[in-house]
Amino acid sequence: MQRVARIALLQSQSPQTGLADAGEPGGFSVSDADRHPQGTLLALSHIGTEVQVLVADDVSECIALARRDDVDLAILDRCDPGAAATFFEAQSALAAPTVVVISESAPESAALDAFRLGAADCVRAAEDYGEVLPLVAMEQIHRWRHHRDREAARSRIEWLEDLNQAIVSEIPVALAVLDESARILEVNPEFCHAFGCTPEMARTRALDDVLPSDLVERGDLARWVSPGAEAMAEAPRLVRTTDGEGRDRVFDIRRRRLGKGGDVLLTLSDVSEAELLSRRVGELERFSEHILRSIDSALVVLDLDGRITYANPMAGQLLGRSEEELKGQPGELFFSAPDGPSQLIARVLQEGVGSPGGEMMLALAEGQRVPIGISCTPLLAEDGKVMGAVAIFQDLSQIKELQRQVLQREKMASIGQLAAGVAHEINNPVGFIHANLAQMAEYLGDLSGYLDAVADLERAISSGESTGVGQAARALKESGQEIDVDYLRKDFASALRESLEGSERIRHIVSDLRDFSHQGGLEMDLADVNQCVDSTANIVLTMMKHSVELRKDYADLPELRCHSMQLKQVFMNLLVNAYQAIEEDTAEGSGQGGIIEISTCQRDGGIEIAISDTGSGIADADLERIFDPFYTTKEVGAGTGLGLSTSYGIVKQHGGEMTATSEAGQGARFTVWLPFERAS
Amino acid sequence: MAKLLIVDDDSGILSALKRSLRREGWNIVLADSPGKALSILDRGSVDLVLSDHKMPGMTGTELLAEVARRSPSTTRMLITGWSAAVSSEEVSEIGIKALIPKPWDDSELKSVLREHLG
Repeated sequence: MQRVARIALLQSQSPQTGLADAGEPGGFSVSDADRHPQGTLLALSHIGTEVQVLVADDVSECIALARRDDVDLAILDRCDPGAAATFFEAQSALAAPTVVVISESAPESAALDAFRLGAADCVRAAEDYGEVLPLVAMEQIHRWRHHRDREAARSRIEWLEDLNQAIVSEIPVALAVLDESARILEVNPEFCHAFGCTPEMARTRALDDVLPSDLVERGDLARWVSPGAEAMAEAPRLVRTTDGEGRDRVFDIRRRRLGKGGDVLLTLSDVSEAELLSRRVGELERFSEHILRSIDSALVVLDLDGRITYANPMAGQLLGRSEEELKGQPGELFFSAPDGPSQLIARVLQEGVGSPGGEMMLALAEGQRVPIGISCTPLLAEDGKVMGAVAIFQDLSQIKELQRQVLQREKMASIGQLAAGVAHEINNPVGFIHANLAQMAEYLGDLSGYLDAVADLERAISSGESTGVGQAARALKESGQEIDVDYLRKDFASALRESLEGSERIRHIVSDLRDFSHQGGLEMDLADVNQCVDSTANIVLTMMKHSVELRKDYADLPELRCHSMQLKQVFMNLLVNAYQAIEEDTAEGSGQGGIIEISTCQRDGGIEIAISDTGSGIADADLERIFDPFYTTKEVGAGTGLGLSTSYGIVKQHGGEMTATSEAGQGARFTVWLPFERAS
Repeated sequence: MAKLLIVDDDSGILSALKRSLRREGWNIVLADSPGKALSILDRGSVDLVLSDHKMPGMTGTELLAEVARRSPSTTRMLITGWSAAVSSEEVSEIGIKALIPKPWDDSELKSVLREHLG
């Protein structure tokens, strides 16, 4: 026995209580003649430790005990017949058996009554009662336990059958049981659903009559499930078929031998959906990989520590390493230049918000620096947690070079416009210097003649001949009068001074032009904006001073980090435009010359440069488009139409703003604002 | 004595021209603006006006046209480094006798002037 047997015992009632009467019918009670009124406990104790007796003093307590799951037997020891009846009424048929002990003197009918009431056995408290009761009790306990185990086994089998039934009918896998000749014995509802049959149709038919024939053929199923087939544990097979609507269906087919006979369980799982998905996933992977490999931009993926987890071929090319070499490298290796994207990427990783970025510098091996345009977006998990960052960047070297060329070309066009005016300005001093030189050569000839006369006089004086001296003195005087020596001396000096001034003017013009046409580098430097605008104004002034008054109002300004050569070009463009507007106005006869006013000041964390003119102004319709590339109101050949749009581009690149206000006939005002700190 | 009026806003040009022509024996008068030139013309007859073109307030052709109006007998000449700015129509319309380039050749200038001033 697995555990201690428990017996609920309703104690015998003592005759002294007067409740029982030996003469009464039923005769379960203790009578005066009982020799063992208290012998039951003693008898049961002979069984040993296998048994534990739970003693009840009254019937209700005994009923409660007998209902316990762990009680295997109830014994009613010579109790009141009424109490016995109450006990059996309350006792369910399924509960543990009950043994009734009747008194030695009880009539034979008492035993019958006990059986009638439901007792499993009845023992008379006779002489041999001490030996009989343990045997009877143990037999009842054994029987009860055996019965209970069988019941448990049966219900377990029922439960398993139910489970089996449930699985077979609910599982979304088609099941078929086949006999040894591949004839269908049983199918489940999913099988019927999948292959459009009823269980009745399927039963007893051959497998290849019921399944789509291509499925059977392709899977070689007939051979596969036949009992002769070897290696039953062979891997499952994926078999394709096409359904009535032309859709591809894929089944994962497995088989298993059932029991010792030749029956085989065939399972067919429809994995079309999963197949389709995995094919789509494969396609998507190839698709995105193809895009990543073929885009003209470099793309790197960084993890939370800023290490590169993916780099496309363009990134490899730009960073000078293979894609494999880049994996696991810290992005800092390339991004940490002072004007590099390190901070940008760190911010995206920290805040999980994308950044359009802008122009920055890559630092490559051997100190090589490459300008790039970069943007960075966070890599987010489904729950929004940042997993890393994707940085996309392009090499701007070529674009920068083209930009520089366009700027230079535009600048040269400005210079072309200036050239005529500048040529005129240079022609004047060249003209008078040339004339003066010719004149000075003539003066020198005159002076030589005069100096000859001086030398003659000196010789006459040293020879001491008074007539000779007088003659020489007269000749000298005549020579002096002839060449007007006093005037000549004065004018020679003037001619020389004026020529020097003229050559200085030429030098100045040429140096301004050279300064302007100088090509700026790619990098920014600190520059005095007042100086930039002023030196540019000076060049323009050479061509416009006849018709224009230039007014300057410069505020004290701190230096600005900028491409100073590019800014000069912006100012040049605005000043030439202003000048041309005034020329136009003058030509139309509505004005006499004009005023260009240049002012600078500090505003909103930057520098503002305003250039206004009193020229012809800009019509409303044109005002909207003046910053568009190639938009020009000038005659063909007079301008490229790139001036203002290029200027606008330069200002934007400095993070600044450029605006224009004007009314036709009322002049125009262009304002350029450049910030000290570029917002990133 | 023939009277020659030279007009140019560049004093360097004026004194150089005067210097070159001093010994030609002409009465040379200088004006550094078109306005001054016109008032000189108004005060007495001038045989020849030699004017720059690009000047503040009034261009050389405008000045010579005005000279032609006020004193048709005065010979008119233009000296400029920007000859492209003057059309040949203008030259014939205003009756400009010579268009002298800047920088100029001294002897050529003198011979052109001698032709008209004797």
